[in-house]
Amino acid sequence: MTLMLGALTIGLILSLLAMGIFISFRVFEIADITVDGSITLGAALCAVLLVRGVNPALAMAASFLAGTVAGTITGVLQARFKINPLLSGILVMTALYSVNLHIMGRSNIPLLTAENVTTWADRWSQALLGVADVNVFGWMVAGRDLGILALVLGIVTMVGVALYGFLRTEVGTAMRAAGDNPQMIRALGVDVESYRILGLALSNGLVAWSGALLAQYQGFADAQMGIGMVVWGLASVIIGESLTGSRSLGLAIYGAIAGSVLFRLLVAMALRWGLNPNDLKIVTALFVFGALVLPTWVGTWRRNRTIAETAKP
Amino acid sequence: MLTIRDIHKTFNAGTVNEVRALQGVSLHVPEGGFVVVLGGNGSGKSTLQNAVAGSFFVDGGSIQIAGEDVTRWPEHRRARLIGRVFQNPFSGTAPTMSIAENFALATRRGRRRRIRWAISRSVRDELRERVRGLRMGLEDRLDSAIGSLSGGQRQALTLLMATWLKPALLLLDEHTAALDPKSAEQVIRLTGEIVGGLGLTTVMVTHSMQQAVNLGDRVVMMHKGRIAYSFSGAEKQRLRVDDLLGRFEELRRREMLDESTAALLRESYV
Repeated sequence: MTLMLGALTIGLILSLLAMGIFISFRVFEIADITVDGSITLGAALCAVLLVRGVNPALAMAASFLAGTVAGTITGVLQARFKINPLLSGILVMTALYSVNLHIMGRSNIPLLTAENVTTWADRWSQALLGVADVNVFGWMVAGRDLGILALVLGIVTMVGVALYGFLRTEVGTAMRAAGDNPQMIRALGVDVESYRILGLALSNGLVAWSGALLAQYQGFADAQMGIGMVVWGLASVIIGESLTGSRSLGLAIYGAIAGSVLFRLLVAMALRWGLNPNDLKIVTALFVFGALVLPTWVGTWRRNRTIAETAKP
Repeated sequence: MLTIRDIHKTFNAGTVNEVRALQGVSLHVPEGGFVVVLGGNGSGKSTLQNAVAGSFFVDGGSIQIAGEDVTRWPEHRRARLIGRVFQNPFSGTAPTMSIAENFALATRRGRRRRIRWAISRSVRDELRERVRGLRMGLEDRLDSAIGSLSGGQRQALTLLMATWLKPALLLLDEHTAALDPKSAEQVIRLTGEIVGGLGLTTVMVTHSMQQAVNLGDRVVMMHKGRIAYSFSGAEKQRLRVDDLLGRFEELRRREMLDESTAALLRESYV
């Protein structure tokens, strides 16, 4: 149960990453690999600030802002310098690796002693529940873990609702249109390039925030923690779409969150059943490959079958 | 009002693929005027329209819309003055977004977009009324994705979007060329209603001579990046499809003569 609770919490933390990827991948149809760097950026900056005794909320806000700066740079490379979107992401991600090492001063910062959101959650759950362990459907669960889960759930809900609201404002609809049909929205007076920059900034801000939460939850920030995170986010978004469909905006955002949680739970189970942790990335990559290719194959197969059947006398 | 003065545009200048698409085009459309631009493939008619819309900057000359010199304005800035309908019905609308959202975007054409709900109740009510006017039964489907509609429906909606805020200039780029005859007729009728009703200054590009004869108060015929013929006033009123065909034939003959002369010269001297 503790394992499941942990998977659920990490899944929710990474759903901020999934929502970020939703913006870049689904709104703008860019696989933005900047996130591999910006998630670490968020974690690194947050960790350094927490060790210096900065308030965790402020530290996370700083992480978010740092992420928006990273996204802005990627966006400017694409929009103003006309560099291929994938290459722009790779350049910024690579540069961020050095930036992150500079921020941290070394490759790993432990957070076990620093005051952070998990200590807050600990304190609140103690005050609220009065006991250290709670009985949930027959399992004994640490109140601290429940507190963290509740806190993360609160943040994710808030961000999800805010993102949904934003994408329905005048600015937000223009941003979606900029991804959907640039020619049309340009003819309606929107500077598509600026909106693309804004979208990538927002996307990477959320990703960095996700990194900040992740560092606090796992108790350390590490220079390598971002590797493969973009694929992770893509997997979440794709799973989410198969869960909820992509017809409505609200469902699509909810899907990204649910996809992230479900994917983390699946991974936790697979690891429990003996999947070698070293194989995790290749399994994730294969999964995304399958998810990208299968719908086309199934579509072709169905069409062929329909044609074959209608051709029968 | 639109004033174009001696604009030039050469694509891929200095390469083997050099195309001199516009070679000194001047055109004046007075307030409320409706000009139909006619021409074959590669005559520069669409290039002319794209130059006005700001898809690229011209190499020389100037463009004025409603008294403002827009020659160096980027496309999105010119959108404040220009309403536009494209040839491809898919170009004018955002397919995954709803009809209502598409219109919400159009209600802010060329204006500042803010952090406030895109679709307000008043916009919705007005939208329902105006869409009902199309008589396509779309007023009850305002929340459907626009991508689920037919080309004709999308083109009619695009026309309505482009003119939601009265534009200083309406650009129609072969906006019925990709439609079936029935939808095309419907969209043309709607075009006449809207342009006439609002008294819009309009430039319509087409390759349909029938449309050129029926619509507008002036016909301009383009050939090889230049305006070859222009008919206005009483001459335009008397214009028949046969007259236009005759002019095309004339252009074609002149061009063949040029080519055969060139061939003759080549044979003799090269």
